[in-house]
Amino acid sequence: MVTRIIQIVLSPLIALVVGVLFVGLSRKIIARIHRRYGPPIYQPVIDVVRMMSQRSISHGALFELGVVFALAGSFVTVLFIPIGGTEVLGRAYPLAHGVLCPLSGSGGLLVVIYLMLLAPLGLALGAGASANPNASIGVSRKLLLALAYEVPFLLIILTVMSHYQTISITEIVARQQQTAWGVLSMPLSAVAAFLILPAMLGIRPFDLAGAPQEIASGPLAEYGGRYLALLALQKAVHLFVVIALFVDLFLGGGVNLATFLLKMLAVFLVVETISAVLPRVKIENAVKFCWKWPTGLALLQMVITVLSK
Amino acid sequence: MLPAIILITAFGSAGAVYLAGKVHPRLRNGLAVLSSLVLAGLVGYGYGQKSELVTISDFLGVDLVLRLNSLAWFFAIYIVIINAGSVVFSLSYMKGKERLDFYYSMMLLVSAGMLGIVLSGDLLSFYIFWEITSWSTYLLISYRRGPALHAGMKYIIMSLIGSCAMLVGILSLYGTFGTLGIPELRAAISGCSPGYALFILLTMGVAFGVKFAILPLHTWMPDAHSEAVSPFSAVLSGVLVRMGMYGFLLIMYSMVGLKAVLSLGSGVLDFHYLFCWLGALTIVIPTFIALLQNDAKRLLAWHGIGQGGYMILGMALGTSMGVAGGIFHTINHGSYIALLFLVVGAVEYRTGGVRDLNRLGGLIKKMPVAFVGCLVGIMGLIGIPLTNGFVSKWLIYKTLITEGHPFLAFMAFVGTWGTILSVYKLLHNMFLGQLPEKYKEVRKSPLSMQIPILFFCLVIFFFGIFPGIPLRVIQGIQGTMGFAPLRLTLWGLASDAGALNMLNICFALVIAFAVVFLLMRLGPKGRRVAQHDSYAAGSFVPVDKYHYTVEFYNPLYRMISPYLKDRVDQFYYWIAHRASDIFDVTRKIYTGYAGTYVLYIVSFLAFLIFVQLVWRTW
Repeated sequence: MVTRIIQIVLSPLIALVVGVLFVGLSRKIIARIHRRYGPPIYQPVIDVVRMMSQRSISHGALFELGVVFALAGSFVTVLFIPIGGTEVLGRAYPLAHGVLCPLSGSGGLLVVIYLMLLAPLGLALGAGASANPNASIGVSRKLLLALAYEVPFLLIILTVMSHYQTISITEIVARQQQTAWGVLSMPLSAVAAFLILPAMLGIRPFDLAGAPQEIASGPLAEYGGRYLALLALQKAVHLFVVIALFVDLFLGGGVNLATFLLKMLAVFLVVETISAVLPRVKIENAVKFCWKWPTGLALLQMVITVLSK
Repeated sequence: MLPAIILITAFGSAGAVYLAGKVHPRLRNGLAVLSSLVLAGLVGYGYGQKSELVTISDFLGVDLVLRLNSLAWFFAIYIVIINAGSVVFSLSYMKGKERLDFYYSMMLLVSAGMLGIVLSGDLLSFYIFWEITSWSTYLLISYRRGPALHAGMKYIIMSLIGSCAMLVGILSLYGTFGTLGIPELRAAISGCSPGYALFILLTMGVAFGVKFAILPLHTWMPDAHSEAVSPFSAVLSGVLVRMGMYGFLLIMYSMVGLKAVLSLGSGVLDFHYLFCWLGALTIVIPTFIALLQNDAKRLLAWHGIGQGGYMILGMALGTSMGVAGGIFHTINHGSYIALLFLVVGAVEYRTGGVRDLNRLGGLIKKMPVAFVGCLVGIMGLIGIPLTNGFVSKWLIYKTLITEGHPFLAFMAFVGTWGTILSVYKLLHNMFLGQLPEKYKEVRKSPLSMQIPILFFCLVIFFFGIFPGIPLRVIQGIQGTMGFAPLRLTLWGLASDAGALNMLNICFALVIAFAVVFLLMRLGPKGRRVAQHDSYAAGSFVPVDKYHYTVEFYNPLYRMISPYLKDRVDQFYYWIAHRASDIFDVTRKIYTGYAGTYVLYIVSFLAFLIFVQLVWRTW
């Protein structure tokens, strides 16, 4: 019980710290690709502290609660995702039932799919309450993009669940560590998941929901001060959730926290360097892309998986 | 005795309300509310009771029987509660409208008819109550006259075709087994051939499918909803349509039996597997058609059809968990779709009958309770955790995955995403964004609208956090149908291949929400600004034009709308037009004038005389 409570406190904090550092890292990488020097890696921390001290405008209770809803939703999602085992230097510690996932037995991957809805929904509610058409256009694009990538994403998740015949993520991770990684047993799904990662993260070429030059950062148009600070944190935690899920489903999770984070870093670096050199696409093209290549690959893998059962 | 008391009260109050209206409108309203509450109390009292009562013995050779059991009780309580909510809501919504005596009386008659359906112990009473319900529904759909008459006509024609099919099934059962009592039929059918079982399932299934609005028998529903008054829409989509679900459960699992249903057909042409696919199509196509709608009630009507697909999917799977999910989804859907129709009704009432999603906006500041109702309703419809919709969908998904139907699960999931897009549009276009000038004086909804709205919100969360309570009742029903029991807890499910614990999820969400809220309080408080004080890149904010609602998902419309025409509806209209052409030709012969008929007779005689003269036949 005590170890579980410690985990419940610890895993969102880990997600927050790692996510914020990843955001800082991404700014540094993009700057180097642009041949700039770039900000220090802890720049997002400075930004959040500064924004927390600034005063914002507010458009009412829903405008504020939407932000809270989004960040709380992201934090709760973290509790359902295993972030590595408890094996250090070849020695397994029975601590926390051998896996760092505080709420592993409360509903599994199906709950994760639905909890991942809370953050976009909260953001959409807050943005809608801000009475700005830029925000509404941003939300409309965000939801369309979500529909676009959810089609392949659901196919991928279903393939993984039917391959391992379970809805529990901890069991999916354990099975991968016993046999082969998901990327080997379901290669096409892994490729499809990799292709939609930028769309799920909302980075280029799929950063159309919050395009600053077109629609004044979309849903964020009216936000400032403490609200924007929380939204920056939400983006960082969301980044952590998506990459962690990819590592858990296809790269066998981690035997301990350190290997898990190393795998996350590797995935993130590859995604970020590819996305840094691509220009932004229109929403129509994003939908067409997601429904063509990733969906096709994911569907093919699902057919193969079902037939081989 | 209890079923008879319930039915006498229900039918009696329908008549009494009409008469009371002739005395005083207040008396009528009071009586309507009182009788719906009394009915709810009576049915609630019947929990766990089992009784059977022969009302008329040897009527045309069969006994008419009323009976109360767990399945009947479950549907009865669901009918009376949603009906009571709608009647209370009607008090202010219908104020000042014409023919109110008729309206209230019909509302109570519909619910009485539905209670009759679920309390019938034989198929003849079932059929009689089924027809009473259909006809009173027809009268209520066409209550507003004008285009409503057309919608009502469409409903009753489709419903009659279904009833005819059901009558064929019932007559055939009577002819074969010589009885119409449900327990007797259950014993008799178990020995019959699979072909005959299929025949019964199909004939009765057409009737239930029309009522259930399952694809391709759904076309009456969008028209009926956009024309019916909002409180009746809540009953129509919440419970009346779900009488089809009751019917399916009755024939598939109470009469034909689980084993026989599962063994019908073979391979790809398995009956229950095909039925599952029909359910999956019913989820996806209507949900995406809903995305294209601009009329709030039409949008909800298409969702009503789409959500029915989940129930069919769960029920047709024929596993313990799947059927539990399907039955649970039925009442969950009833609670949130009724809530959403009531919210749309409240908005309609306060804005002077506006349902067009392109002409509303910003009402959150004027109608906060309606907004909360809408938010909770759409959360239930999507199935966000902590709402009841989540639990029932979780049960269905989990069955689909563990039983190895990933493609069906995919259809169900994609339906959820289509739902999110269209219900966000519903919420955004009504309550968020900029408030148009003309709605500046809109007042909050009256108390008699707020009470049912808040009540249904509570139900949604209560069943979402403690799903064990309704699931235990459902388990009792399943026990009579021969399903293995689930391992229930108060807040979810204990199972080997992945458990569900809503209490943990609830605590996690509440604590995370509180922590983030306190984190936000660290910064300085935001300065409240008016809606025109928003960012417009330095230019003037145009009043009433700074709002983005029309064609909210325009890029997607362009891509999917060519594929989402309701071709089934067009086909039915084509048949209807061809039929009416044939009737026109017939009418040219049977003109209705005596002179024409005399002419026919005279010319026929002339023909006979001619024949006689020329050939001398006789």
